Amino acid sequence: MPITNRIADFDADLTAWRQDLHAHPELAFQEFRTADVVAAKLEEFGIEVHRGLAGTGVVGTLRGNQPGDRVIALRADMDALPMPEENTFEHASKYPGKMHACGHDGHTTMLLGAARYLAETRNFAGTVRFIFQPAEEGGGGGEVMVREGLFEQFPAEEVYALHNVPGMPVGTFAGRVGPMMAATDEFDIVVKGRGGHAAMPHKAIDPVVIGAQIVGALQTITSRTADPIESLVVSITQFHAGSAYNVIAEEAVLRGTIRSFDPALRVLAGETLTRIATGIAAGLGGSAEVKLVRGYPSTRNHAAQLDKALRVAEGLVGPERVRGDIPPVMGGEDFAYMLEAKPGAYLFIGAGSAQGGRNLHQTHYDFNDEILPLGASYWAQLVETLLARE
Amino acid sequence: MPINNRIADFHTDLTAWRQDLHAYPELGFEEHRTSDIVAAKLAEFGIEVHRGLARTGVVGTLRGNQPGERAIALRADMDALPMPEANSFEHASKNPGRMHACGHDGHTTMLLGAARYLAETRNFAGTVHFVFQPAEEGGGGGQVMVEQGLFEKFPAEEVYGMHNMPGLPAGSFAGRVGPMMAATDRFDIVVKGRGGHAAQPHKTVDPVVIGAQIVGGLQTNTSRTADPVESLVVSITEFHAGSAYNVIAEEAVLRGTIRTFDPALRKLAEESLRTIAAGVAAALGGSAEITFLPGYPSTRNHASQLDKALSVAAKVVGPDNVIDDVAPTMGGEDFAYMLEAKPGAYIFIGAGAEVEGRKLHQVNYDFNDALLPLGASYWAQLVETVLARD
Repeated sequence: MPITNRIADFDADLTAWRQDLHAHPELAFQEFRTADVVAAKLEEFGIEVHRGLAGTGVVGTLRGNQPGDRVIALRADMDALPMPEENTFEHASKYPGKMHACGHDGHTTMLLGAARYLAETRNFAGTVRFIFQPAEEGGGGGEVMVREGLFEQFPAEEVYALHNVPGMPVGTFAGRVGPMMAATDEFDIVVKGRGGHAAMPHKAIDPVVIGAQIVGALQTITSRTADPIESLVVSITQFHAGSAYNVIAEEAVLRGTIRSFDPALRVLAGETLTRIATGIAAGLGGSAEVKLVRGYPSTRNHAAQLDKALRVAEGLVGPERVRGDIPPVMGGEDFAYMLEAKPGAYLFIGAGSAQGGRNLHQTHYDFNDEILPLGASYWAQLVETLLARE
Repeated sequence: MPINNRIADFHTDLTAWRQDLHAYPELGFEEHRTSDIVAAKLAEFGIEVHRGLARTGVVGTLRGNQPGERAIALRADMDALPMPEANSFEHASKNPGRMHACGHDGHTTMLLGAARYLAETRNFAGTVHFVFQPAEEGGGGGQVMVEQGLFEKFPAEEVYGMHNMPGLPAGSFAGRVGPMMAATDRFDIVVKGRGGHAAQPHKTVDPVVIGAQIVGGLQTNTSRTADPVESLVVSITEFHAGSAYNVIAEEAVLRGTIRTFDPALRKLAEESLRTIAAGVAAALGGSAEITFLPGYPSTRNHASQLDKALSVAAKVVGPDNVIDDVAPTMGGEDFAYMLEAKPGAYIFIGAGAEVEGRKLHQVNYDFNDALLPLGASYWAQLVETVLARD
């Protein structure tokens, strides 16, 4: 059962939809245009549409042509990232400082493609929910939808999701039982010094020097504090200080993220970060205010649902192109909240080469349109398999 | 010979002129209104006026009532700073984002006051040139005037400058032989890494970590590279990287300034900065592009002219109120270029207690009008002393 023929037939439509979304990226909880496009298409396909969960969330409900009690939910994410796009092709971002650099444009399109096919064929028994969530990138849109009653309003027995992965060949799928993605916490460190003239450092307490020493010392959380068997990432992704060549700033702002799988290490890393930042700042005569913001828990696949998902993938691309034992990755994913609420599985779909700055979150990334019919076929066949007619 | 009575008589005029200039601050090379006022007043006093050197520069030439071969030049600066003024008094800046926060309004007024007095009395032998320069604040207006032939068109044997200094008591003057102000160079370091997802540090080259290590490494420029008896400041005043918690940036931008007195150390500090930034970046798998922006050289007083200047100052305020060995400051001054071209002296005129928020370059600064007749008297008596009638 390779790519569904009917889906291959409208491949050109999928590419057009995806590139239109790519050109109009919207940040977390502001996916107004995107949600309008999604809702309009679902309605056009004849699918019942609900809007407003988590603000811009959209849920489509479709029943098969055979009655049934079983219900599953399929989820895609809609938001883009606050970063400038450096691609120059025609569908590059038209919104400065915003970019679909994680492929949510593609995720949304693949699920829309499956919805179109399934609405035409209805070749299943029971109910499928199409969940389009806002704010996967740090906004916790999935958590908000769950909290606002997603699975009470739209009961489902199981929930599934997909993410494209550059560096994995096109035509492959992968997953693993247990932790698949990391817990993602964020931190702000505000280093307080004392500003002054750049020519009089002795009258100032330089927050840039303190911040730099903190960045250096935070490397030891991974190298010295964590059990080397465990996985831990501490990334300081932002450093902001100063606005003139000849003025020492009052403060420096450092921001970043901590990624872990193990709950105990998650706590230890946060405590160590706080101790290092405040200790180094005090040692250099300044101070540091540390704010830890707990983010997504680790994304954990359930064994039975992962097995079903991998079987469907095997049917689509062949068993030799599906892996069920990949190493977990340190990225975060707020699908974790849905997997805490319902059994389910989260799979990677190979997106081809990551060369040339085309990895996720890079400024030259673009979703690989070649995989649109593959992903849509996976979704369609997952529904037709799990909700098989008798 | 304290404050000249005649100058004290028109203190009210001086205050009005100064506050008018304060209300209409203009940036480097854009001092159109200011130079119109300066030129009009000089012409009104009966002084020969030349305009156009360094665009908005004004030079007034006045001969004493006794013929003489000798000629000296007195210099004031006219430009303001690109910063918002926080004062609310009536003469606060009417040009948003621009402010006379360094007292050039007062410097210009003191020299105009002396010009008015000297034009009335002409009680000297030879020629005095009143030099009003644009763009002292980083624009190098003094350098441009010298390059455009200031001292060929207006030959002068000696040149003198003065700057108001909060922190020195009002009614005091101060100077020193040799280096008085620092050479002020600036630099940009663009650290190039490889961006990516914050959870996949192993696939990136993190420019924040490299930038932080460079900041740490650059401290050794002062602590390990410079001769400890020499003065050197390396301030990294700006550090900009990243725009999201979960994205490792492509690059980090560091900016700052290097201050030195010794020309050999100036060169060594630049070389060392380049070696450290490039070396640290390469060692961590990235690269660094370094742009070095040479600024003013060190401002150095000539012994015999400083002696004359301080002797005159001692007559105006008494020997107890003159400091001849004030510590040099690491600030910069483009009068340095005039002192490289001609022997001369640059002295500070005390501006009273240094109040936080009202220091030079701070938003609540205002020139102390009590100094106006003092400074003008110093200029007048300097002319009458250096160009004394037989």
